[in-house]
Amino acid sequence: MKCEWVKENITLHVYGELADDARHELEQHVARCADCAAELKAAQEFHDLLSQAPVVTPSPNLVTAARMRLQEALETAEQGGFWQRLAFDPANWLRQVSFSPALASAILILGFAGGVGTSYKVFVHQPPNAATGATPALAEASITGIRSITQEPGTNQIAIKYDTVSTLETQGSLNDQRIQQLLLFAARNNYNSGVRMDSVDLLTQKPDVSQVRDALIYALRYDTNPGVRLKALDGLGGFVKDDVRVRDVVLEALVNDSNPGVRTEALRLIEPAKADGSVRGVLMTLAAKDQSQYIKSQARTMLAQLPEID
Amino acid sequence: MEKVSGNLDPTWGRMAGQERRIDDTILIREAQRGNRGAFEELVRHYDQAVLRLALHLTGTEHDAQDVYQDAFLKAYKNIGSFRFECSFYTWIYRIVTNLCLDHLRKRNVRKEDAPVVKDASGGEYDLLDQVPDGRAGANPERDLMRRQLGARISGALEKLTPRERMVFELKHYHGLKLRTVGEILHTTEETAKNTLFRATQKLRGALADMR
Repeated sequence: MKCEWVKENITLHVYGELADDARHELEQHVARCADCAAELKAAQEFHDLLSQAPVVTPSPNLVTAARMRLQEALETAEQGGFWQRLAFDPANWLRQVSFSPALASAILILGFAGGVGTSYKVFVHQPPNAATGATPALAEASITGIRSITQEPGTNQIAIKYDTVSTLETQGSLNDQRIQQLLLFAARNNYNSGVRMDSVDLLTQKPDVSQVRDALIYALRYDTNPGVRLKALDGLGGFVKDDVRVRDVVLEALVNDSNPGVRTEALRLIEPAKADGSVRGVLMTLAAKDQSQYIKSQARTMLAQLPEID
Repeated sequence: MEKVSGNLDPTWGRMAGQERRIDDTILIREAQRGNRGAFEELVRHYDQAVLRLALHLTGTEHDAQDVYQDAFLKAYKNIGSFRFECSFYTWIYRIVTNLCLDHLRKRNVRKEDAPVVKDASGGEYDLLDQVPDGRAGANPERDLMRRQLGARISGALEKLTPRERMVFELKHYHGLKLRTVGEILHTTEETAKNTLFRATQKLRGALADMR
């Protein structure tokens, strides 16, 4: 029955939701059908009635209060799904996001800025150390990581746990075991080649200590910086004749080192040991095949000075 | 132009609407990159409508603020997964309506049948006291009748199911097309139409004695 359809759709008509063709049909029907016309009128009046009632609107105070509360909450909120987004740009993000003061000094930038060189520093008050007698006037603590950030509920108190590496200073002479230990550590482990160079330089003054010699050997063999290797070589040079390990490492440097300066110096320093069988073998190879003219000719000269072997 | 007495029309002129759409896209992308300022600006485009919706459905300023807060925080946390498959408008309304529906369902369970609403301090008061009336004092009798009507309507709305109430609210008080209502509520336009029909029938029944 048409009337049924019309009655079901009168509400939609009142709200303007009918498609044009359906609206046309409905209007046509209502023009002819008294029942449906009355129904339409009632529906219309009801709609008007509802519209007479006042509509509750949020007061400006409420809007402001809601916005402020949201703003506060946003400061500590985190966005999820960063890592899935292609558009994530860490540097840009850091520029854009404003941190509240409480968090600003604690955020670890290391991971984003990349590179070991950048780190946040927090100044830590340190009492003088009675044991070593050293008194660090000011100690810096480099933040290496944030363990946890928690907010006390209902307050604006934030508790942050963070790990630091603190920088201390100690003084002494080369004979101090502590100094030697630190120098040995520095020679191997520091990413800063300048520091490694300084430490190796100092260690060359004490090459008779076996650990020191070890450190120099290690530096000559593995250090990536040719200046450091050269320094180590200088320190070891005097022991080529007496210490087999030193001779071996110097030979290695002579044959394998990427830096011509290091190789030349190694050749010069191996000279006192040229009578040794293994040294002679290397010299012969160099004399025959080496890329560097200088090394080739030097090797030949050295070999020429040796007595013939039966 | 549709009849708008007592009904706040959220649509602007067509041009302005389109401009707003472009603005939103830029703001959304910025917000996705972590730009909190952009997100806050985006919030300002929608928050009054959201607050109004929350206020109508929850009945108290306190609850409305809670819904508002939860909705926008959720939006902030999840904006990264917004893929422009629908308008931001639909997306944010979805979040708000879900929160409101939860609220309505919880209230139904507690079986509060009082049509009078509670204010922030828990005291009962007439929410309609909040309504600013431009013609206050001009016709006190008329004002009283309007307020009584308002109270009656609030009472009648309480009798609807949460979904019916939501559809009615979105259609009648926010002027949304039923197609949009369907999108927001994750249902079809047809279902939304049927729901609206049922809602208005119930309301007419509840208010049949009124002229």
